[in-house]
Amino acid sequence: MQESKKYQPKDVAGKLARGFLHNPLTPVLGIFLLLIGYISLEIMPREEDPQISVAGGTIIVPMPGATPREIENIIVNPLERKIKEIKGVEHIYGIAMRDVGIVNVMYYIGEDREQANLNLYDKVMQNMDLLPKGAMQPLIKPFDVDIDIPIVTIDFYRKPGSKISETDLFKLVRKIQHQLNRIENVSKTEIKGGSKEQYNIEVDLGKLSGYHLSLGQIVQAIKALAVNVPDVKGRTKDGKLVIFGVKNAIESVRDVQNLIVAQYMGSPIYLKNVATVTEGSDIQNFKRVIMTQKEGDGFSPVHDAVTLSLGKLAGSNAVVIADEIKAHLKSLEPQLQKAGVGYILTRDYGKRANDAVNELVDHILITIAIIAVMLIFFLGWKESLIVTFTVPAILAITLFIAYLSGQTINRITLFAFLLSLGLLVDAAIIVIENIHRHLHAHDAVDRDMDEIMVEATDEIGAPTNIATLAIILTMVPMAFVGGMMGQFMKPIPENVPVALVASLVVAYIFTPYLGRRLLKKPHLHHHHHHWQKDKPRVEGGEK
Amino acid sequence: MKRFESFIYNILGSKAKHWLVIGLTLAALAGSIAMLPTKIVLAKMLPGKSANSFSVYIHTPTDSSIEETRRVGECVMSILQKESEVTDVEAYLGQGAPLDYAGMVKGSGFKSSENEAEIVVNLTDKHEREEPSFMMVHRLRPTIKANCEAVKPGTVIEMVEQPAGPPTLAAVVAEIYGDRYESIYALSQKIAKIFKKTDGLVDINVMADDPYKKFDLVPNSDKIARSGLSVEQVNKILYLAFEGMVVAPKNSQNYPDQIGLFVRLSDKTRRVADHSAHALETKLASLKLMNKKGMLVPINEVVDVVEVDAAPTLMQKDLRRMINVTAETDLVSQVYPLLDAREKIMNELSKDYDITTTDYLFNLRLVDKKTGEVFDLKWDGEMKVTLDTFRDLGAAFIAALILIFLLLVVYYKNFTISGIVLAGSFLSIIGVIVGHWVADIVTEHTFFLTATSLIGFIALMGISSRNSLLLIDFAKSLMVEKGFDKQHAIAVASATRAKPIMLTAIAIILGSALLASDPIFGGLGVALISGTVAAVVVSLIFIPVLMYRAKAMDKIAKE
Repeated sequence: MQESKKYQPKDVAGKLARGFLHNPLTPVLGIFLLLIGYISLEIMPREEDPQISVAGGTIIVPMPGATPREIENIIVNPLERKIKEIKGVEHIYGIAMRDVGIVNVMYYIGEDREQANLNLYDKVMQNMDLLPKGAMQPLIKPFDVDIDIPIVTIDFYRKPGSKISETDLFKLVRKIQHQLNRIENVSKTEIKGGSKEQYNIEVDLGKLSGYHLSLGQIVQAIKALAVNVPDVKGRTKDGKLVIFGVKNAIESVRDVQNLIVAQYMGSPIYLKNVATVTEGSDIQNFKRVIMTQKEGDGFSPVHDAVTLSLGKLAGSNAVVIADEIKAHLKSLEPQLQKAGVGYILTRDYGKRANDAVNELVDHILITIAIIAVMLIFFLGWKESLIVTFTVPAILAITLFIAYLSGQTINRITLFAFLLSLGLLVDAAIIVIENIHRHLHAHDAVDRDMDEIMVEATDEIGAPTNIATLAIILTMVPMAFVGGMMGQFMKPIPENVPVALVASLVVAYIFTPYLGRRLLKKPHLHHHHHHWQKDKPRVEGGEK
Repeated sequence: MKRFESFIYNILGSKAKHWLVIGLTLAALAGSIAMLPTKIVLAKMLPGKSANSFSVYIHTPTDSSIEETRRVGECVMSILQKESEVTDVEAYLGQGAPLDYAGMVKGSGFKSSENEAEIVVNLTDKHEREEPSFMMVHRLRPTIKANCEAVKPGTVIEMVEQPAGPPTLAAVVAEIYGDRYESIYALSQKIAKIFKKTDGLVDINVMADDPYKKFDLVPNSDKIARSGLSVEQVNKILYLAFEGMVVAPKNSQNYPDQIGLFVRLSDKTRRVADHSAHALETKLASLKLMNKKGMLVPINEVVDVVEVDAAPTLMQKDLRRMINVTAETDLVSQVYPLLDAREKIMNELSKDYDITTTDYLFNLRLVDKKTGEVFDLKWDGEMKVTLDTFRDLGAAFIAALILIFLLLVVYYKNFTISGIVLAGSFLSIIGVIVGHWVADIVTEHTFFLTATSLIGFIALMGISSRNSLLLIDFAKSLMVEKGFDKQHAIAVASATRAKPIMLTAIAIILGSALLASDPIFGGLGVALISGTVAAVVVSLIFIPVLMYRAKAMDKIAKE
């Protein structure tokens, strides 16, 4: 193998090595790769768990007055039979309650969500004629994991001694909801708990009988007064507009109190005579939010709260949105302080996503460092440096491709990187080890550095290609794992093969390039203190 | 290296040593696989994940009022207030908490009744906390259940942890299918009872309405007609009087929502003295309707009050009536308690039912001996996801084996050599299982063989096949180019390749070391570490023996 003329590469490995060995673009390419990787890491949306696309929806058909069995017979069963006609539906759950029928539809995981929702909507709309008389318009609500699961929830509460009323707190939260909804990529916002303002007319049954009145009369009287009508346009004689309108007779709670509901023995009966009319909150709403939070060493007593939850659009960055929400809340603090309203963040998926991502990035960095130290020990520090450089380059390519394919950075993608970390240094290690072995061989002294680099890379090319292909092949079937779990771990078969292919290319291009510049042939006396010389090379091993 | 070379040379030289190596390898394989059925190594889909929050779901009996539900909720909160690691607790009464992954499949979005509540418990950051959240849930569960379920008898409290992987309805779900609601309900109660007796199953809940009494007001059409009223009018007034209604809205310029004008009887006059037909009738006597002639007619004159059983909500799945019995597991895998419970069902219910097994997933068919009614019991929940995932991953594994085999056949154009490489790859399973066994002994909690372990194992196959590949290639080139004899070539190849094989193995082991400490990917880390160790040993000792014994090596060398 001591050809003095040019070594002819047989494998793509050697060809790549030769092509880039003296190319001025090689370092530019290296820096470019690192740069796009870093940019991808910074701009890719971050979230904690990967998006699982679940297609499905809920159809709600109210039918007041019907018993569960009736609902089952005339609403749920016919609806289920129709849904069964849709292709791709995995399970249908029917719930027949008093007054309402609910049908939940679950598509097979991986069905196209848009299409599935459309099919569901179509099917229900096409069969509206099958709905029984008395049933109300069906409500179709498709599932949307991204929009439905809030990334931030905030609990607002009245501080002890605060003068703000329950209903004013609700009003305030409603205002904040609207402001936060303006933030880019914030989608669904929702308020739980709290009380809406309401005029409560609590009729005393005893007084009602006393005045010889019925409840129906009171309702009639209220309805007669509380009307809103559009303005009327009149005209003057010379053609100008005169606009006037009837004002809603109820302006304040006093108007309601002074409503005349009937005449009794010639004198009017006011509503306040038979009922207590108050400006209060929705007393019929049984839904409440109560909370307690740590205060010093103990906990605050259980108190009412209003929860504002905010969701995000699919594919947007949870970290950025959560940060903006927090910044906005911070700016509202003086106003809240003045009103005597406290708030705490009770859910922050932005922080969680960022923590999870940063933790895994740290793990990846630590792992790279550990491997680098290990290689210094076995191969020498220059060789170790070369291998260590290849890792960020490979990860950069993989990240960039993941970004292009619309993935997000989440637990599972990073986990796929961690998994591939042990695998993707291999190609570089194998190449550098072979270069190292060739450099320390007896015939190395007479040979050109370039030729050694190319030959050493080329020699292990074929088996390394096949071996890497073998690892890629083990990952491919994982893409076909079904169900939620399959969706959940999809980033593994998506990213590990990319990382492995990148590891080959990087190993073949950059290892010989860097090797040529950093490594030197050992001096002959090197033999004696380098255990490598015992390596049973052809000549050395022969007795 | 020289010593290793002569060591291999030595082994290859003696037939007896060949058999010793092969025998030892097979014994290790058999021994490690035997750890699975003997439960030395336990399987689970995904282990628990320490999170910064968990939830408590409260289901009071179906006819409970919001006040009763609130009392149960406050009881739970008072216990949580004693915890030093809890930062805040929010209780959502009569509704579900803002959706999370767990709530999405557990139906919290649909909750809207007075007997439901969800409590969100936020904890200090998991990095600054000694106790993982799943241990905390494990510790608090008995206290909370013992104290707070007693506040309203019939209450079920569930402690819900954030799932490590895809969310499921519950760890164990028994779907009981049948035709008649009453008999399904009776059977589901029996199953729930068996679950309660099964070790490892907690938070057992029958997802059906609890039976309760209600009153039907039967309108006497004759009397209604004669008094000049209508049934609709009666209905409306009753609703208005006791539930109340927003009869008209008022728009307001300085208010974000419409203001309703809400009419209802005052609290004092609305409440019924007690839960009896008589008390209700007395109350109705004072509520009067005005007929067309302007006369007031007491409602009790036109209706009869009858106490009846309330009609329960009916559930169906895939067009069949069904009731779910759910249970969570407490720190253990759901697989073993489920098998346990299934065993008990088959024993204890065999008096009343003929029980046969049906198709997939240990499903059962029960036939009532007296009435001949047919029931199906199907398992769902995390158990089904686990089995499906393990099945799919198993299939992925076999597919990977076949793909690698085909690739090798293309490369070597020889079946035997490809077979050798494949056999070597498969043997890393010894390391995977033994590694889990060791990890289980070393760690405090049970270390399960999980789905991520399987992923690790699949990845390992590629890694170990690469070791064998490089070895065979090198030996081959030694034989072809240098004219070594087979024994010598293989020994030299093993010794030369030992270094890169070790190096890459160490890289994988170090690379996976941090993974092994992760609660979810720990299985994968352990699988990679221990599997790589096994793969190195296999490819440096076992593979050379097989190579030497294979005639195919000579053939390749000749070509």
